[in-house]
Amino acid sequence: MLQKRILSLLTVACLAISLMACARSDTPTGGGQAAQSSEAVTQEQTAAVPEAVISEPAAAADPVANQERVDLVFYVMGDPPKDQKVVEDAINEKLLEKLNATVTFQFSTWTDFQQKYANELTSGNSDLIYIANWLNYGQLSAAGAFLELDDLLDQYAPELKDLAGESMLNQCRVDGELFAIPNLWPEYVPSGISYRVDLAEKYNLPRPDSLENAEAYFNGIKDNEPEQPLLRVTSEESQGVTVGFDAAHILNLKYPWVGVNGLAYGLTADYETPQDLYDYWASDDFAEDCKLLKRWSDMGFWSKSALSDTNDVDSYKNGLCIAIPAGQNPNKHITNMNDFALLHPDWKTEYITYGEITGAIYPGHATQNGTAVVRASKYPERAVQALNYFMTDKEMNRLVQAGIEGVHYEIADGVYHNLSSDSPQPFPYEGFNSWNLRVTKFKLLQETDVELNKLFQEYGVMAQKTKFPNVNIAQGFSENYDDYQAERAAVQNIIKQYLAPLQAGFVDDVDAAVEEFRSQVKAAGLEKCQENYSRQWLDYCDEYGYK
Amino acid sequence: MRVKKDAASITFDVIKYILLVICSVACVLPFIIIISGSLSDNSVILRKGYSIWPRSFTWNAYATVFQAPQDILQAYKMTLYYTVAGTALGLMMITLTAYVISRKEFKYRNTISFLIYFTSIFGGGMVPWYLMYTNVLNLKGSTIPIWFPALMSPFLIIIMRTFITGAVPDAITESAKIDGAGHFTIFTRIVAPVLSPGLATVGLFLALGYWNDWYRSSMFSTGSDTWALQFYLYNLLNATQALRQMSQNTSISTANLPTQTVKLAMAVIATGPVLLFYPFVQKYFVSGITVGAVKG
Repeated sequence: MLQKRILSLLTVACLAISLMACARSDTPTGGGQAAQSSEAVTQEQTAAVPEAVISEPAAAADPVANQERVDLVFYVMGDPPKDQKVVEDAINEKLLEKLNATVTFQFSTWTDFQQKYANELTSGNSDLIYIANWLNYGQLSAAGAFLELDDLLDQYAPELKDLAGESMLNQCRVDGELFAIPNLWPEYVPSGISYRVDLAEKYNLPRPDSLENAEAYFNGIKDNEPEQPLLRVTSEESQGVTVGFDAAHILNLKYPWVGVNGLAYGLTADYETPQDLYDYWASDDFAEDCKLLKRWSDMGFWSKSALSDTNDVDSYKNGLCIAIPAGQNPNKHITNMNDFALLHPDWKTEYITYGEITGAIYPGHATQNGTAVVRASKYPERAVQALNYFMTDKEMNRLVQAGIEGVHYEIADGVYHNLSSDSPQPFPYEGFNSWNLRVTKFKLLQETDVELNKLFQEYGVMAQKTKFPNVNIAQGFSENYDDYQAERAAVQNIIKQYLAPLQAGFVDDVDAAVEEFRSQVKAAGLEKCQENYSRQWLDYCDEYGYK
Repeated sequence: MRVKKDAASITFDVIKYILLVICSVACVLPFIIIISGSLSDNSVILRKGYSIWPRSFTWNAYATVFQAPQDILQAYKMTLYYTVAGTALGLMMITLTAYVISRKEFKYRNTISFLIYFTSIFGGGMVPWYLMYTNVLNLKGSTIPIWFPALMSPFLIIIMRTFITGAVPDAITESAKIDGAGHFTIFTRIVAPVLSPGLATVGLFLALGYWNDWYRSSMFSTGSDTWALQFYLYNLLNATQALRQMSQNTSISTANLPTQTVKLAMAVIATGPVLLFYPFVQKYFVSGITVGAVKG
């Protein structure tokens, strides 16, 4: 009898504890931001990663024969290529010869990848791992998920260190420590507007390179082809804490901001003066911009159901819109060009980056694609050696990135051609999703890259004229919002609820709606978010010398 | 002679049938739209939306899928394997466990029952669970962690135990014991034969669980050859979504992502056989569940 009572007491106690635990972890996320809670989990987990046991560095010059054979695991994102085994075998043949090591690529798949990435770091089963700012590189490094690389590089991968160069490596430093090797292919992904230049020519309309011209362009097409839908804009490309509606991205034509659409919580700064933060939402400009968007909405530039519509990547090529102001980049522009050539040879698309108009143009940040060594890795020195081999050896780099020459690809006129796409076991370009291993001097040019490189060169020239040539300041910053998660989620909700209809022009009185939005977002805790964000941002600018 | 219905019952019939028709249309319509969508032209769907009858009939989507059917077939094979192996083994283990804890002469049956029940209200959480399979048991990449964790669940064991207690009175097993039968004989000759409705119920739960599971494939697979069908399909959707977002910030090719119609065709291929199969076994499922329930 007594036993039973004790047992039931125990049960109740456990239930109570687990309920409390649930309640605690639920409250801060509030608005159902799954991503946030998983980030929080990530942090807790990585904090628990055991201290690495770095084995005594065996002299780097040791002959291969003296090293025991090790099997490394390289964790990368996305889905595996079909012909993984064949390419892996070819890689391992070389690796065994040179380092007495093998490598197996393990793939996160695109399902639940953030959770699985965190699990992988916790379990420590891999040695090399793909990192990116969108996988919280900054926070994870600070929490101790990766191994400090400075000494390892000096000792085991001096070639790689030289190849990368100090300035690239410095962009990957967190609190002064280096945790990742960036990809070494400077890549420009400036946001901009794609538009149908054939229509502009046909009706003698201006290029949409300013807000006035854009208005004239849209109106001109509306007058000439009343049946043609103009913009297919939704709120899908506007998920963060900067903007509520996709059409508002076009405002970047007007502002030389440090990041696309500004920074966060209405805060923004100009690219040339990143430390001079100001509150865009509180400014008169904001109210003016909302009036402009309202006017466009009233003129029927987008559908009245835009806020509940879903975005479709195929709308442009199917003629459902004649311009895309949000979520574009040069690579997508090339895709559009190819689509048009295939489907509608008489259509023509052109791309205007916002940066080329405002002068704030910069490549992707170094932490956009990179490689780190997992802290719990058993063979960190061998992992670094392998990475060195992957990135500094031409043959090896091409093998990893493109497969076996003659089987999976061939080079004709200096351009990469895939040979395996029709076979049952294809290996596509960058089949291992190893965007982190791109190296400019080895990178095989795809057909699209030829065009892309031309654009990049133009952007490169423009970027040299900026105050911080070739640094993507905003992208290198990673915000830590653990202390104000609840406020952040609340602000995010207000953006969806008030800012989105405001920027979509679905309000009767813009001034009143602007005031309503300002007071609501303030009540949601905007000040706390702004305060914390500013502090972190200024610290970041100080640390990296963006003054 | 026909009984003349009064106005009230006619009204009742009319309302009843209207409601039933609405319900069945609501159930069938999505399937019809999926099938019609999979037979349509992608650009037509984009421009004009979905329709009950395809606006421009084409087999293109199926042709694309069957260009490389080995992935879907492999996923089918794995799902069948997980479902059959998991259900068979699971049924065996659940029944044996339930039998043991239903025997009055087993001294620690309450403690054991409690321990089983305890796991249903208090678990270690996802991360320890994951670490157990990957770091302690080193099973990541094999098929075991995909079917093993779902073999038994406290809920099903309790259902089974209740069922055995109800279906086999103590007097019967006692008399068998007096006649010299051991536990094995009692279980195989006396308990098991009357268990079929219980087995059907528990088996249905298990099999549906296995068929619908994608999470364990996602967690423990290291290559696509161990993926279950549901995960294969789910991942396809996620890949489209993720690559689209990624391509914002980095130059990657999004040219070969599946179109809407291909996704629909895959859904048809994945669910089709089950839909055809279901009506034939449905009566067993239903009788299994109700027999267990009414006797209670």
